Amino acid sequence: MHEMSLAQDMTRIIGDALGRKVRLERVNITVGPLSGICGESLSFCFTEIAKMEGFGEPELVIRKTEARLVCLECGGEYTAADFYQGCPDCGSIARRILSGREFTVDSVEIDEGEDRDV
Amino acid sequence: MCDEAPEKKVEISRPVMSKNDRIASDNRRLLEEKRIYALNLISSPGAGKTTVLESMARYFGRRMAVIEGDVQTRRDAERIERAGCQAWQIETGGACHLDAQAVSHALGHMDLESSELDLLAIENVGNLICPSGYDLGEDMRIGLLSVPEGDDKVLKYPSLFSSVHVLLINKMDLVEHLDFDVDRAIEECRSLNPEVEVFTVSARTGEGMEEFCGFVETSMG
Repeated sequence: MHEMSLAQDMTRIIGDALGRKVRLERVNITVGPLSGICGESLSFCFTEIAKMEGFGEPELVIRKTEARLVCLECGGEYTAADFYQGCPDCGSIARRILSGREFTVDSVEIDEGEDRDV
Repeated sequence: MCDEAPEKKVEISRPVMSKNDRIASDNRRLLEEKRIYALNLISSPGAGKTTVLESMARYFGRRMAVIEGDVQTRRDAERIERAGCQAWQIETGGACHLDAQAVSHALGHMDLESSELDLLAIENVGNLICPSGYDLGEDMRIGLLSVPEGDDKVLKYPSLFSSVHVLLINKMDLVEHLDFDVDRAIEECRSLNPEVEVFTVSARTGEGMEEFCGFVETSMG
């Protein structure tokens, strides 16, 4: 989905948090499997946007979480890597979503050689 | 997570959608103050969102106002105005979805003071993927699926259909000519989303629309 505008939101959040624009070495994010975000597409967009916005060419490191779900058939709690994984005990995909839609900017690592505003 | 902690690591820990979610909460608060109930109507292009709204305009009349989201043109807003409701067109100029900021901007331009007005319908940009990630401040999210699109769409777009309050199956006047399995679509939607309410309608002929509008009216409280 809309990875370009999400990449813009990410650079805005980073800029707000740092209070300045610096060259970054790495950006660490968390993406849940139910967030609807395509990691490859986001990486592609983010590299371009980060460069345009004056953050250098940081590597985007995506930590993928698992979704936590409750089976509505047998009541068991389980984890899943996508929308289609059913309950491991009874096979049902009827469930309530406990988590899995998360999408956060966790941290950034500033380029070692960088200690000035760009 | 790195094992060796780099010296220049800065913790941020912020949800990327937090700005949108904050503005969506502001929209929700404003609409609550004005006692206006808001719908977010999401579907693929051509599923009949504007025709559904024209049909709803016959039921709700001037009680309803509409925000139209399209990449380009005021065509849909003009259709809604002809149906007798206040309409504001958002032209996204390329963006594939509406966000809370665009809705906030539209609300700033609309007349929300009319004593008759108690329903706002937001027609999202035609797209089954991107709009699902953006809270606009709505009270009810409606996923519209038309029978020519095929009954397999629910599981193909789980991010949307797991997040809707209502599944509205449109163009039922065509169902006899197509191999759309209504029960399958409903069953698959319920498997993702057990509490979803389902209505089958034809906005063109009006079939089922009174029941759907009645449900919206009851939900408005």
